[in-house]
Amino acid sequence: MNFKRVLNILGFLVLITGVFMMFGIPFSIYYGDNDIAVLLLTGIGISVIGFSFWFKTRNADKSDIGKREGYLIVTLGWVLMSLFGALPFVIHGSIPNYSDAFFETMSGFTTTGASILSDVESLPHGLLFWRSLTHWIGGMGIIVLSLAVLPLLGIGGMQLYAAEVPGITKDKFHPRVKETAKRLWVIYMALTFLETVLLMIAGMNFFDALNHSFATLATGGFSTKNNSTAYFTSPYIQYILIVFMFLAGMNFTLHYQMIHKNFSFLKKNDEFKAYLFFTIGVSVFITLIHIPYVDFKPEESFRQSLFHVVSLITTTGFVSSDYENWAIFSKMIFLILLFIGGSAGSTGGGIKVVRHLLLIKNGFLELKRLLHPRAVIPTRLNGKAVTPEIISNVQAFFILYMLVFVLGAISLSLLGMDFISSIGGAATCLGNIGPGLGTVGPVSNFGHLPELAKWLLSLLMLFGRLELFTVLIIFTPYFWKK
Amino acid sequence: MRIIIAGMGDVGYQLAKQLSIESHDIIAIDLDQDRLSYSDQMADILTINGSSTSVSVLKQAGIDKADLLVAVTASEEVNITTAIIGKKLGVKRTIARIFNDEYLEPESGVNFNELGVDFMIYPEGLAAIETVNLINRTAATDVLEFEDGKLSVMGIRLDKNAPIIHKKIFEVTQQFQNVDFRVVAIHRNFRTIVPRGNDQFLANDQVFVISKPQGHDAILRLSGKENIQFNNIMILGGGKIGRRVASLLSDKMTVKLIDNDTDKAFELADQLPNTLVIKGDGRDIDLLAQEGIIDVDAFVALTEDAETNIISCLMAKHLGVKKAIALVDKVDYIPLTQTIGLDSLINKKLTTANNIVRFIKKGGLVSYSTLEGIDAVLLEYVAQPGSHITQSNLAKLELPKGTIIGGFIRNDEGHIGVGDSKINAGDKVVVFSLPDVVEKLEKFFVG
Repeated sequence: MNFKRVLNILGFLVLITGVFMMFGIPFSIYYGDNDIAVLLLTGIGISVIGFSFWFKTRNADKSDIGKREGYLIVTLGWVLMSLFGALPFVIHGSIPNYSDAFFETMSGFTTTGASILSDVESLPHGLLFWRSLTHWIGGMGIIVLSLAVLPLLGIGGMQLYAAEVPGITKDKFHPRVKETAKRLWVIYMALTFLETVLLMIAGMNFFDALNHSFATLATGGFSTKNNSTAYFTSPYIQYILIVFMFLAGMNFTLHYQMIHKNFSFLKKNDEFKAYLFFTIGVSVFITLIHIPYVDFKPEESFRQSLFHVVSLITTTGFVSSDYENWAIFSKMIFLILLFIGGSAGSTGGGIKVVRHLLLIKNGFLELKRLLHPRAVIPTRLNGKAVTPEIISNVQAFFILYMLVFVLGAISLSLLGMDFISSIGGAATCLGNIGPGLGTVGPVSNFGHLPELAKWLLSLLMLFGRLELFTVLIIFTPYFWKK
Repeated sequence: MRIIIAGMGDVGYQLAKQLSIESHDIIAIDLDQDRLSYSDQMADILTINGSSTSVSVLKQAGIDKADLLVAVTASEEVNITTAIIGKKLGVKRTIARIFNDEYLEPESGVNFNELGVDFMIYPEGLAAIETVNLINRTAATDVLEFEDGKLSVMGIRLDKNAPIIHKKIFEVTQQFQNVDFRVVAIHRNFRTIVPRGNDQFLANDQVFVISKPQGHDAILRLSGKENIQFNNIMILGGGKIGRRVASLLSDKMTVKLIDNDTDKAFELADQLPNTLVIKGDGRDIDLLAQEGIIDVDAFVALTEDAETNIISCLMAKHLGVKKAIALVDKVDYIPLTQTIGLDSLINKKLTTANNIVRFIKKGGLVSYSTLEGIDAVLLEYVAQPGSHITQSNLAKLELPKGTIIGGFIRNDEGHIGVGDSKINAGDKVVVFSLPDVVEKLEKFFVG
């Protein structure tokens, strides 16, 4: 293990965190808020710490980032960024408790969007912006960003990329990972820009539009309003959010293909088709369920159903109304949706549509295999056979995901949370979604949870964002054996 | 004609032998001296030991005076390179054997003619098409199609209880007003007979009939066979032929493909979504039983190994499969397979050699096929203006003994040859002939 190189890159990541923190200052100046000094000094302080680590270790052997270093750097990097990123909230005093601030920041970086704040609007604009920015950075990933814009990672970037963007297949648009990362960020920024403009046209002010775009494209879910997006009652705004949440939950490779006018790619992509039809199917279903209710309004019912289905599947976690009051059947569906997740290669979290698709297909094919024990019956994705190694990887992922969820939910109940909230809380944090069920439901927040529960949920968020393996692998004996 | 053959493998050897008998000048090039010595002993040819991609070797073979260069080594790259170099060195025409059908597709976008390759031959593709034809014509032992099936020649083995047994040919044809078919040959006791009107049909005869598409049913009725639609096929061996056959058949019928190689089986399963790929040994009777060999209509053995193919086909017949087709690339085995009761066999080397021979023939030869297991050829000529064949009625033409005009294709329509048919210039004529009179026959078609 090349620890010097690990420290070198970690120092660099801390430095970036410090720099990004100061991006909110112009908003604070514009709105005349009291957090300018806090952001400036904390930002500079963190940058200096990061810089000195980076500077001290700058002569580390640059050529050598192995798989192990990759996993360690990415995991520790995300933890350090959250540890440092939480500081301005504490120093400013808007979130006095460090556990709360850490939870909030981790929730931001992992694009979970679960909040401990009951009064979001009381936060100064600079801090609010920082809170949304953590989403935006975390959505595409700090390593991907570093690869795209900064030459510092150099050789070994591929290992870091693999650790931060796990997925089941490596979609590269370009032979060089740096170029792939660049294209990803360009698409990401273009979509963010487009949404911001559209939201402003629909009536939001620039600050709200930008923050909501950050939260949408990252599939995060932090809003600048106490009532989340329910504050914006305009159907236009809600439809814009629905469309962009859906786009953010798509594989970014498909965006790249669409830019190149290659639409046949969409038709051939099984995951996209499943994602599209599942989203629409479930929304229509929930709408139909609500017909017997007195206040059924077709358009609004459908919009609300679609909004929440998209919001939960893509793991964004925006809320446009309180689904806690909906029919028990709808709530049941929403609980299941917490386990779906976006598409592979999107900014969404969770198990991912493609994994479900492979597991289901493989499950049914197993019946055929029982009849033909000697036959080679591969599971197919996009018309191509998927190797047994990938199937085994997906199965392992699913089992570990469920195991982590079960252990998480049990631990939460041990810490004193009620039955529904334990399940909802663990599922929503592990899936990087945001709103859960019960006391951590759509219009509640995580502030009232026991201290330890917040740290546990923060850990679950990290597990979910880095797709389990990257984090779990560090805790195995294989990792540390020479 | 001066012909250079690069590569003395089975195809090259078969070709050299066939062509040298027809008194062409054959120069064989191969890297393997043993192969050359063997060919030299068996056929009247000149051999050169060396690489066919070497300029000096080709010059030594007299490439600038040669009419045709046939590159049939075991390597696609060598074949294409040889053809390109040969063309540049002045040979009139070039033929290269290739190993994948990608180059034959028009959409490949590569103009091989421009490069110097006049014709590309893909033996595995030819063998696959032959196999598919045999499966579609379930009752036939052999099927040869001319001009997309406007005329076709089928071989049929007569059972003891066929309605036409002991009848004379003219008695049978009298029953029909519109002649849609004609018997061109009977193979009986290892001898091929070109039949006359008063020859009788006997049990166990293998009868070759040329027919128009609408004549197929009548032929099957007379021979006491039914053309059952096969819908359950089992293929052994996932090589290039097996793969191609499976992909051609799998959207119409249930196809099971057996291969013993784990990685290959996975690759096959990937490429053939509608085929059930089974990993195992095709000679394993338990495996065949498990995969329902009882319900299989046709069993096709297409592995590289002729013995495996023959044995597994016999096993399939033993288990009650209606039709067994084996790929037998050893020419020596061909007479044997008939006696042990195999339905049909495919020989890709003979098929390939036949396909190449038509390039050498004069007189507008369109196609040339040997009927496997019997000593006879089917030729398709374009009748040239002023040629002897167009001078009078077929009955009055004094065609060489051992030949018979099966039919002709005029204006895209098939016609059966009868006594008062008259051939026009430009007609495509299908002729059945014993090999020793092909030379004489050719003269009838040259203008």
